[in-house]
Amino acid sequence: MQEAAILDHQFVVAAYCVTWAIQLSYLAWLGLKWRAQKRNALSSARNPRS
Amino acid sequence: MKKLAVSLYAAITIALMVWGFYQAIYVAPDDAMQGYVFRIIYYHVPSASVAFLFFAISLLGSIAYLAYRRARPAWAQIGDAWALAGAEVGVVFCTVVLTTGPLWGRRAWGIWWTWDARLTTTLVLWLIYVSYLLLRRFAAGPQVQTLAAVLGIFGALDVPIVYMSNRWWRTQHPAPVFGGSEGSGMAPSMARVLLWNMLAWLCWGLLILMLRYAVERKQQRAAAEEALEMLEANG
Repeated sequence: MQEAAILDHQFVVAAYCVTWAIQLSYLAWLGLKWRAQKRNALSSARNPRS
Repeated sequence: MKKLAVSLYAAITIALMVWGFYQAIYVAPDDAMQGYVFRIIYYHVPSASVAFLFFAISLLGSIAYLAYRRARPAWAQIGDAWALAGAEVGVVFCTVVLTTGPLWGRRAWGIWWTWDARLTTTLVLWLIYVSYLLLRRFAAGPQVQTLAAVLGIFGALDVPIVYMSNRWWRTQHPAPVFGGSEGSGMAPSMARVLLWNMLAWLCWGLLILMLRYAVERKQQRAAAEEALEMLEANG
C-alpha cells in the first residue's frame, strides 16, 4: 500500500517535471531566437550594406 | 506602456500557474479509483485543450494566408505568422500531452502505450504538425508558405477526429469527462481545480504564442528588408 502511494507520487512528480521542462525549454529557445534577432538588427543598423 | 502590460500579464499568468499547482497538489482530493496519480490529469487535459485551440489558430492563419496571398500580401504575411506560431506552440503542448499521458497510463493501465484510437490519432496529429515545422525549417523557395498552409489545413482536420475518437470508437483511453454520455462528469471539487489549471495553461500558452508571433513578424520584416536591399544593390 505504502509502496503504491510512493510510486503514484513519483509518477505525478515526473509528469509535472516533464511538463515544465518542455515548456521552459521552449521558452528559453524562443528567448535565444529573440536575442539573436535583436543582435542582427543592431549590427545591420550599424553596418548598412549600401 | 506595452512593456508594462506584457509584464503585468506575465505576472498574472505566473500567479495563476502557482495557484493551479497548489490546487492540483494540495487541495484536490484523491480519485476514488485511481488515487493520487489522477492528479496528472490537471496538466494533461489543459495541455490537450490548449493544443487544440492553437492548432485552430494555425488553421485560421493558414486559410488567411491562402485567401490573401495575391490580393493583400501584407495580410497574408500576418496570417502566415499566426499559422506558424499556432503550429509551433501547439506542438509544444501536444508533446506535453504525449508524455504525461503515458506516465499516467503506466500507473493506471500498467502499460506506457497502446494503439487505441485516441492515442494513435493524437500521435498522428503531432507527426503532421512536426512535419509542418520541418517543412518550414528546411524547405526553400517561394512556394514553401503555400505548401505549409495546405499542410496546416489538412493537419487541423485531425483535431475533431482526435476529439471525437473516444466517442466514436471503444478505446482504452478513458471516456470523455465533459460532454460525454449520461453519467459522465467530475466531482465539483475536482472540476474546479481542473478549470483553474485550464485557465492558467491557457494564459501561459497565449503568452508564449504572442512571443512566438512577435519573433516571426520581426523575422518577416528583416527578410523583406534584406530582399529590398539586395534588389537595390543589384538594380
